[in-house]
Amino acid sequence: MSLNDALRNSAHGSRLMRTARPRAEGDRSAVARLTLVVLVGLSLIALALSIATGASDASALRVIGALLGGTEDTVLSMRDRIIVLDIRMPRALLGFLIGAALAMSGAVMQGLFRNPLADPGLVGISSGSALGAVLMIVLGASVPAGLMASLGAFTLPAAAFVGGLLTTLLLYRIATRGGQTSVATMLLAGIAISALAGAVTGILIYMADDKQLRDITFWGLGSLSGMTWTKVAAAAPIILLALVVVPFLSRGLNAITLGEAAAFHMGVKVQRLKYTAIVAVAGAVGASVAVSGGIGFVGIVVPHLLRLVIGPDHRYLLPASALLGGVLLLGADMLARTIVAPAEVPIGIITALAGAPFFLWVLLRHRGRNGW
Amino acid sequence: MIDARNLTVSLSGKTIVHSVSLTAKAGEITAIVGPNGSGKTTTMKAIAGELPSKGEITLNGHDIRALEPWQLAVKRAVLPQAAAIAFPFTVREIVRLGLTVGPNRHAERIDAITSEALAAVDLGGFAGRFYQELSGGEQQRVQVARVLSQIWEPVLDGEPCFLMLDEPVSALDIRHQLTIMQLARRYCEGGGGVIAVMHDLNLTAMFADHMVMMKNGSVAHAGRPADVMTDDAMEAVFGCRMRINGVPGPGVPFVLPHTASY
Ligand SMILES: Nc1ncnc2c1ncn2[C@@H]1O[C@H](COP(=O)(O)OP(=O)(O)O)[C@@H](O)[C@H]1O
Ligand SMILES: [Mg+2]
Repeated sequence: MSLNDALRNSAHGSRLMRTARPRAEGDRSAVARLTLVVLVGLSLIALALSIATGASDASALRVIGALLGGTEDTVLSMRDRIIVLDIRMPRALLGFLIGAALAMSGAVMQGLFRNPLADPGLVGISSGSALGAVLMIVLGASVPAGLMASLGAFTLPAAAFVGGLLTTLLLYRIATRGGQTSVATMLLAGIAISALAGAVTGILIYMADDKQLRDITFWGLGSLSGMTWTKVAAAAPIILLALVVVPFLSRGLNAITLGEAAAFHMGVKVQRLKYTAIVAVAGAVGASVAVSGGIGFVGIVVPHLLRLVIGPDHRYLLPASALLGGVLLLGADMLARTIVAPAEVPIGIITALAGAPFFLWVLLRHRGRNGW
Repeated sequence: MIDARNLTVSLSGKTIVHSVSLTAKAGEITAIVGPNGSGKTTTMKAIAGELPSKGEITLNGHDIRALEPWQLAVKRAVLPQAAAIAFPFTVREIVRLGLTVGPNRHAERIDAITSEALAAVDLGGFAGRFYQELSGGEQQRVQVARVLSQIWEPVLDGEPCFLMLDEPVSALDIRHQLTIMQLARRYCEGGGGVIAVMHDLNLTAMFADHMVMMKNGSVAHAGRPADVMTDDAMEAVFGCRMRINGVPGPGVPFVLPHTASY
């Protein structure tokens, strides 16, 4: 290469540098994209760790080796196989999906209610879903057996979905007037709805027989234990559908930050946006609650943390919430499995221990601000 | 052209706007004035398609009720009287909302238009600030920039676009009032149209081509400011006796935007 060529090339290079889009001031999309890449990496690590570790010494590597055709001690690898493939894997997958569903639902609710304190757990959607599931357990006996059988593993998620949907619609009706949501009304309505759902659940517990009772207690705490591939098959499709649909709402949710009227002015079909969001949230939360019970605070902590870093643009916030929600829930699950090993703490206790103080902190930070 | 015929709006079972007719032409600033509660905002909202109403409303000859939200959004943008924002957006992100919602014709020019719109409202250098940390007047100008960027070209596909501004200068100092009104005038010179709810009668007299005076939900007077602004009309609409072009007695200073030069 001649000196001339080199000079021309470098001049060309620096011109490219100058015409390359300068990072516009106040534009956080580059940070947001970087965050998404980091979160994808973290998600893979969390899934791998979650499958590799546990109370038993089963080795995921050995199982993978066996699956790939290595010849090992068959008895040992059989036990390991069951632990890794049938216990840890469904648990890790569902744990990740449930974390993703709860965190993204939180972000959607907050966008829709234009309020960073909206959370499926706090405003009673989880309670409504749980009530739907409990109703199905107790009264399900009177549903024609044929119908039950044809719904199969989907019965509980479906019931939880309907419970969550009705609760969300009710809440929206109560808390939103003329396109404005009052946080006080929303939280109070959430308390009332939770209390009502709790009371009805209480009545159902008295009506329940022993086996039903055992099924029901499970919903109280929120746990990722006992995940099976059947449960994955029941919950994952609904959650995945919600995870796929919701990102299409992000521009509309951005617009609605300025109010429903402004969103309409900007060309958003507000009514359709609202109902799609509500159905997606009810589906994701319902399916999650149906298999894991109520796991609180993921939906409030995750989007809030992310907004501090990447801002409130839903085009990035929604996928980032899903990824970070999955990562954090798997992290919490690993804690839940190890702190009192070989026993385990219900994961709902861990998320509440970490999330409730966080929620109070957010509340204090924003106390007295306009629009709250 | 925006044309409303016999517009009647009822809210909470009460008729707020009674058979209002008004026309806003491309190339003109149409000002709506009137006392508080006379139905200016309600009329504007009905014309924007945001409130259910009776009567005919057309935008460039199309019945607005037959248009999809996005079809309206490319032809008219609305500055609401009050806007609260729920999340900590930066100024750039707010203005960009106007460009990224709905069918997006300017994908590759978003950053450039955002910056130009901010410069047009004298907020160059504010792009990185958080909206919530701005003063009321600065926030109002950010909203004007957002609305402007939504219909950046005053004429689109051969049809004029319309800025609908509800009290666009109410929170602004005198210099920025002039900035925004001149911006509106330039938009009209470019072939677009502007409807603005105004409280400042001097600015209205200076900038409006057409003026609609409302009282108790009806149109009291409409026409060119020079024709409409009479002592009698002022008294009838605003309920106090004022003299057009009267000056105060000695010792009381007064200052009019008409005299501004900068
Ligand atoms: N949603 C509503 N329900 C009932 N009355 C309303 C509503 N909005 C406005 N009004 C009443 O309609 C009248 C006109 O309001 P508006 O159009 O906002 O007046 P302005 O001319 O000051 O903009 C006022 O008396 C107001 O109280
Ligand atoms: Mg008004």
